[in-house]
Amino acid sequence: MVSLDFNATVFMQMFHFLLMLIVLRLVVYRPLMNIIEQRQEYIASEIEQAENQKTQAAELRAQMEADLRKARDEAKAIVDRATRASEEQAQQILEQARADAQRLKEEALADIQREKEKAVAQLRNEVASLAVLIASKVVKDGLAIDEQHNLVQEAIKEVGQLPC
Amino acid sequence: MAAEYAGKAEKTFLEQMHSELNIYGLPHHWDLGEIMGFPIQLNAETIVFTWVAMAVCLLLGWVAVRGANMRRPTKMQACFEMLFDFLRGLINQSMDPKKGAGLFSIVVTFFLFISVMNVMGVVPTYVKPTADIQTTFAFALITLSLIYIWGIKYKGAKYFKHYVSPSPVFLPITIIEDIAKPVTMAFRLFGNMKGKEIMILSLLALVSGTSWLAGGFLAGTIWLLFCIFISLIQSFVFTMLTIAFVSGAVSEDH
Repeated sequence: MVSLDFNATVFMQMFHFLLMLIVLRLVVYRPLMNIIEQRQEYIASEIEQAENQKTQAAELRAQMEADLRKARDEAKAIVDRATRASEEQAQQILEQARADAQRLKEEALADIQREKEKAVAQLRNEVASLAVLIASKVVKDGLAIDEQHNLVQEAIKEVGQLPC
Repeated sequence: MAAEYAGKAEKTFLEQMHSELNIYGLPHHWDLGEIMGFPIQLNAETIVFTWVAMAVCLLLGWVAVRGANMRRPTKMQACFEMLFDFLRGLINQSMDPKKGAGLFSIVVTFFLFISVMNVMGVVPTYVKPTADIQTTFAFALITLSLIYIWGIKYKGAKYFKHYVSPSPVFLPITIIEDIAKPVTMAFRLFGNMKGKEIMILSLLALVSGTSWLAGGFLAGTIWLLFCIFISLIQSFVFTMLTIAFVSGAVSEDH
C-alpha cells in the first residue's frame, strides 16, 4: 500500500500547486491585501487628521484664551473708567451742592442785612416822630421851632448811635 | 472499478480497509498512454482529492473575499488576515522584507493548500493527497526551486560559491545537503500524513465485535481530533521550513 514509485503525479501536483498559486493570488490574496492596504492608509490618514485637528484645537484654544483675556481687560478698563467718571461726578455734585449752600447762605445774610437796615430806618423814623410827639407834649409851647428842630436832630443822632 | 481495485494482488488488512472505503470507485491509477517510452500514470485518488482540496481552498477564499469590507471584516476575512499577518511576520523575521515580498503568496498558498489537504483526511472515505509521496515530493521540489530562484535572483552567480566555501572539500556535503532538504521535507509530511491515515484505518478496523467502544470508537474519535492538530502543525512546519531555506539562500552571511 505504501508505494514509493514515482510517476507523472508529481508533475501533476506541481501543476496543481502552481495553478492554485496563480488563482488564489488573483482571486483571494490581491483583493484582501488591497483591503488591508486601504485600511492601513485609512488609519494613517485618520491619525494624521486627528493630529491636525488636535493642533488646530490647540491653536483655537490659545486664540480663545487670548480673546477672553483681552475681553476681560477691556471690561476691567470700562469698569475703571466708569468708576472714575462716577467719582468725578459725585465730586462735582458735592462741590456744586457746597457752592449752592454757600450762595444761599450769602444771600440769606444779605437779606438779613437788608431787612435789618430797612427795620433800622423804619425804627429811626418812628422813633423820631414819637420823640417829636413826646417832646411836643412835654414842651408844648416852651421852645422855639429852631430849638425843637435841634432837639429832634440830636435825638435822631442818639437814636442812630444806638446799638441794634 | 472498486472491485477491480479490491481484487488486486496480496491484500493486507489495511489494503482491505482502504479498498472498502473507496466508495467512489476510483481506480488505483489512470494510464494516459506513453510519451517517449515512459508510461504516464496518475494516482487517481490523489488527483481527484487534490481537486477537492483545490475546490475547498477556492471556496474558503471566495467566502473571505465575498463580503470583504475595509471597516467591518467578515469572519473568514478576519481569519485570512490573521493568517496573512502571521506568515508575513514569519517572513519578515527571517529575511529582508523586500526580498520576502515575492515569497508571501507562495508561502500562504503552501500553508492553505497543505492544511486543507491534511485536514481533509479526517472526513470519512476521503483520502489525503498529502499521504501520497508524489504530492509531498512535488511540493518539496517547488521549495527546492524556490531556494535556487531566490538565491540566484539576489546573489547571482555568487550563490554557487557557498558550495565550495571555505574549501572545495565540502562540495559533496553541500550537494548532499541540497538533496536532503527536499527529501526530508517530503518524507516528513508524507510520513506524518500516511501514519495518520494508517492509524485512522487501523482504529476503524477495530470498530467491530465487542471491543468497538473500548478499542475502536473512542480511540478513533480522539485520534481524529488529534489528527486536526497534527495536520495544522505539519503544514506549518512545511511552510516554516520553506521560509527558513529561502532565507538561508538569500542571507548575506551565508
